[in-house]
Amino acid sequence: MSTPEQNPNPAERAGGVRTKPEQPKSDEPDFKTLFHAWLESHRASVADSVGRLVKQPIGSFFTCLVMAVALSLPMGLALLLDNVERLGGSWQRAAQISLFMKLDVGAAQGQALREQILAMPDVSEANWISREQALEEFQQLSGLGEALRELPENPLPGVVLVTPSEIDRDNLEALRQRLAELPGVEQAQLDLLWVERLTAILKLGDRFVFGLSLLLIATLLLVIGNTIRLHIENRRTEIEVVKLVGGTDGYVRRPFLYMGALYGLGAGLMAWVLLAYGLGWLNEAVIGLAGLYGSDFGLAGVPADDGLSLVVGAVLLGYIGAWLAVARHLSELAPR
Amino acid sequence: MIRFEQVGKRYPNGHVGLHELSFHVQRGEFLFVTGHSGAGKSTLLRLLLAMERPTSGKLLLAGQDLSRISNAQIPFLRRQIGVVFQNHQLLFDRTVFDNAALPLQILGLNKREIGQRVMTALERVSLKDKALQYPSDLSTGQQQRVGIARAVVHRPALLLADEPTGNLDPRLAAEIMGVFEDINRLGTTVLIASHDLALIARMRHRMLTLQRGRLIGDGEASR
Repeated sequence: MSTPEQNPNPAERAGGVRTKPEQPKSDEPDFKTLFHAWLESHRASVADSVGRLVKQPIGSFFTCLVMAVALSLPMGLALLLDNVERLGGSWQRAAQISLFMKLDVGAAQGQALREQILAMPDVSEANWISREQALEEFQQLSGLGEALRELPENPLPGVVLVTPSEIDRDNLEALRQRLAELPGVEQAQLDLLWVERLTAILKLGDRFVFGLSLLLIATLLLVIGNTIRLHIENRRTEIEVVKLVGGTDGYVRRPFLYMGALYGLGAGLMAWVLLAYGLGWLNEAVIGLAGLYGSDFGLAGVPADDGLSLVVGAVLLGYIGAWLAVARHLSELAPR
Repeated sequence: MIRFEQVGKRYPNGHVGLHELSFHVQRGEFLFVTGHSGAGKSTLLRLLLAMERPTSGKLLLAGQDLSRISNAQIPFLRRQIGVVFQNHQLLFDRTVFDNAALPLQILGLNKREIGQRVMTALERVSLKDKALQYPSDLSTGQQQRVGIARAVVHRPALLLADEPTGNLDPRLAAEIMGVFEDINRLGTTVLIASHDLALIARMRHRMLTLQRGRLIGDGEASR
């Protein structure tokens, strides 16, 4: 067994003068040094990740493009659904109750009724349409203007259009019955069926978009995970060396996480551009179609907040995908 | 600096890497670990780097018990150690400077200090003028020197080398050993695993001899 006495230092063994060895200086880090180290490590990781993406422009571009397509599909559908909702009008408007008055109800009585209805707590709006206004509107919209002028008298009744303050099937039905009992009211009509149908269609659309989103998020995570796995494989030696010279798992993980986030950023921006151009292109056809129905409806583009959410979401997905890939593959690399 | 107390390493497949190894290394010592292939040299180094853990006994490095060290502590332990590999393990897409700077970047030193320390380390291995070249532009001996510069740039207390002259001709091997001795003179403990007995004999340092995982010799190498 060896003892210090048996093992003098090399200079002494060689017959030289024994010199006191210079002790290696310790690197006792203070807070400032640690903070600087942390900051510098992040800066270096970002610079390294950007550099690697730029070095492989075509590969990086296509990875971002695949992710962008996957992102734009559910986002595009969600935007189209929003537009359909806008086309259908607000729910309150869709659930209007039409009070058809008896033919002998005049403008004064109709206005008084309107005031009475407007005072009800569950009514947010009430509008009186006189018999003359109704006829004029019908002549314009129906295209039967000439035929209607031949009629000996105006067959249309005055109408009070009532907009309820909230949409609830039971409450609406109760309100309709109360309104039907008001003096001068011939018929109270609540056309809720098409609202319910539209709601059901939109709900189905929402679910479809949600399901598609989940599927495409999984696809995105796989794409980013696989891309990061390849980067890890290409840098196997570097990772091993970094671990052996004292790099923590966090230090090793960091550039890959930034890379994932950068892929996400690129994909998010590309998806935004794709959607903006896609909706713009589609909008030309929609405007043409709506024009045929006498409407000035057009598709709304990608709102800035939606676009920003898309980019932030893409960055997060890229980060999470990279994190999952790194967590899975890094532990396989020796040394630990 | 290093204390092995009845350290054993048995692998899951039943192979015994080390048998109750006991020895002690003083701070500032220079020693060789030798033995045939499979004697346990690499296992010993892997235990010191905490790449593996002993299955029995106690292994202390600078007062830290490596048989009980937590995974989170391992990187910080390794920052006290420099490692030189037989195959250099250099990063060929980085310059000599960047290769040598890696441990300092991990420590988070500022650029000015990194620059100073790296150039000092490269000067120590006579490669100051190659700082901006890539490892592929260098000879095998020079690549090994880069590996040494990287191993000492952060002023480790312990320098481990696994067959550092394995791929070098005798003249280059002697040169590399000279570099290790220079580093040792500055106070760094140096432990080299090598089977080149002729070279070890010329160096006249302490030598541990392993055979099938057992320590069968501990003394000064003789010509």
